[in-house]
Amino acid sequence: MGFSTILDILGSMIIGGILISIAWRLNDAATEKTYNNSGELSLQQNLATVAQIIEFDFRKIGYCEDWNKIPDPTKSILYADETSIKFLTDVDNNNTVDSIFYYLGPTSELTETPNPRDRVLYRVVNNETPAPSNLGITSFRMVYFDALGDTLYLPIYNYGAIASVEINLTVENVAAYDTAYSTAFWRQIRLVARNLKNR
Amino acid sequence: MAGKASLFVIAGFSILFLVLSRNFGSVSNRAVDNYVNYNKDVISYNIAVSGANLAANRIFLDPTWNDGYHNMPYQDGELNVDVTVLDVYKNIRQITATGTFDGQTSTVKVKLAPSKFSKFAYYSVNEGGSIWWTDNDTVWGPFHTQDYMRVYRHPVFYGKATSRRRIVYYSSEKKDKPYFFGGYEQGIDLPLPDDAVDDMEAPALDDGLIFTGHDTIYMTFERDTLRCRFSYNSSDSLIYLPTAAPNGLIFAKNSIVRLKGIVKGQYTLGCNSTYSSSKGTIYLDDNIIFDKDPRIYPSSNDLLGICAENDVILTNNTPNHSDINIDASIFCEKGGFGAEDYDSRPPSGNINLLGGIIQNTRKAVGTFSSSGTSTGFNKRYKYDNRLLIASPPFFPGTGSFEIVSWYE
Repeated sequence: MGFSTILDILGSMIIGGILISIAWRLNDAATEKTYNNSGELSLQQNLATVAQIIEFDFRKIGYCEDWNKIPDPTKSILYADETSIKFLTDVDNNNTVDSIFYYLGPTSELTETPNPRDRVLYRVVNNETPAPSNLGITSFRMVYFDALGDTLYLPIYNYGAIASVEINLTVENVAAYDTAYSTAFWRQIRLVARNLKNR
Repeated sequence: MAGKASLFVIAGFSILFLVLSRNFGSVSNRAVDNYVNYNKDVISYNIAVSGANLAANRIFLDPTWNDGYHNMPYQDGELNVDVTVLDVYKNIRQITATGTFDGQTSTVKVKLAPSKFSKFAYYSVNEGGSIWWTDNDTVWGPFHTQDYMRVYRHPVFYGKATSRRRIVYYSSEKKDKPYFFGGYEQGIDLPLPDDAVDDMEAPALDDGLIFTGHDTIYMTFERDTLRCRFSYNSSDSLIYLPTAAPNGLIFAKNSIVRLKGIVKGQYTLGCNSTYSSSKGTIYLDDNIIFDKDPRIYPSSNDLLGICAENDVILTNNTPNHSDINIDASIFCEKGGFGAEDYDSRPPSGNINLLGGIIQNTRKAVGTFSSSGTSTGFNKRYKYDNRLLIASPPFFPGTGSFEIVSWYE
């Protein structure tokens, strides 16, 4: 009885250990997957949201409900470089010319997040105080093209030469399991603001 | 006992897996939904934009078209377009295009206004054969030619540039490519009308000022008064323009006009030729300028259109031998804008033009050598930016609409 009982106990311990180990690994894997998948979901939602906002704004460059208020839309882009752009539009379609300034903040602004690469993409309407909102953007880069489709090299001295814009946006999780950050990328190959060259 | 425990373990794991798989499934579905919704949004937007383009094209071909499209299947979605008149007097129209795809709807609103030739800083049907736009040339407003656009060493176009025929580079695209700061489109066909100046007679008879039966009319604008005579040595008559031409149109039928002065208000001078090609020409004998220069007084509403059936010519006379200042949009239906005796007159300084030139055939205003101007004028043309949204009264229209606002 004694030997057999010991064997039973040992066997149970081994099987129990295996089960506990499986359960532990299952828990760990489930936590990782849940974390990563949820992170990817929010990452994609962030990307889609930012993309829609950018498209909404950029397509309105040079637009005003009363077009006489922007008589020469070719002058609507006030500033443009690789990571920032400022332009005139009527953002809320209320007959008032607004300016919108997009620019990317430095990585040092978001040291509280685990991701070392995330930055704030600012969208400043008129003279509003810039309000940061972290959507995990790690890259926001624009390439400009002239009327014949050729790339305009930076710095651009006459913003009227810009006829279309390529927009590149990369979004990552602000935090990830074991620092395995997911990445999503969106590119608008040629965004043409129709009001920019309509007259 | 062992069997029960196994059942509990199996049931426990099953429940755990069910919960996990449900969660993972939900996350995956929502992620896919995200892309699907974005895709639906893009497709419905594309349908709406296509509808706006289709309708705009119909209106360009037939300015009276207002049928729209209703419940039209398009790209597996549905397209609806309405055309409405926003302003009957100004003939402002709006296209409202709605694209629907799988429950997602996008709307595009496009406003169109009648297009006038006065909006051009430069327009020509015929570029004169061998005249090139060079690195010394800058056009500050909208540009169009029906001809080839011949370019040499990067000319600069600040407004939107269009041409019916292609760009011709003097040596290569790399060496000669123009700077287009307002965009460029090729293949745009925008012919000059045949009888735009003749058509001014009716509104001049209605509520304007018309001169008939005179070979030559000497006109001098003195702000809102017009001083005129019908031979060189006769005495002037004074005409108060706000009462004589309330609609702003002054028309010289089958005459030659010799023009100068200071313009206050908004007027268009038309001059046609009914029998002889020697008529329908306007000579600029001296400066013709605004009372209030819009570059100094931005609120100035002075505007002038000079519309000749044939040519607008800079007279070879003493006042014009030391610069000429012109504030006007110049329209030459069958001829062009040029200088009298351009290749034999003395060097005459600058043509300081504030406005635009719309002409059938490009004409010369001087000759040049490596040392500078040999005869005639240098060109100093500035565009009057107000012409983008305003036009001298009854200035010839293109007969079509232009898109002035695109909302999406």
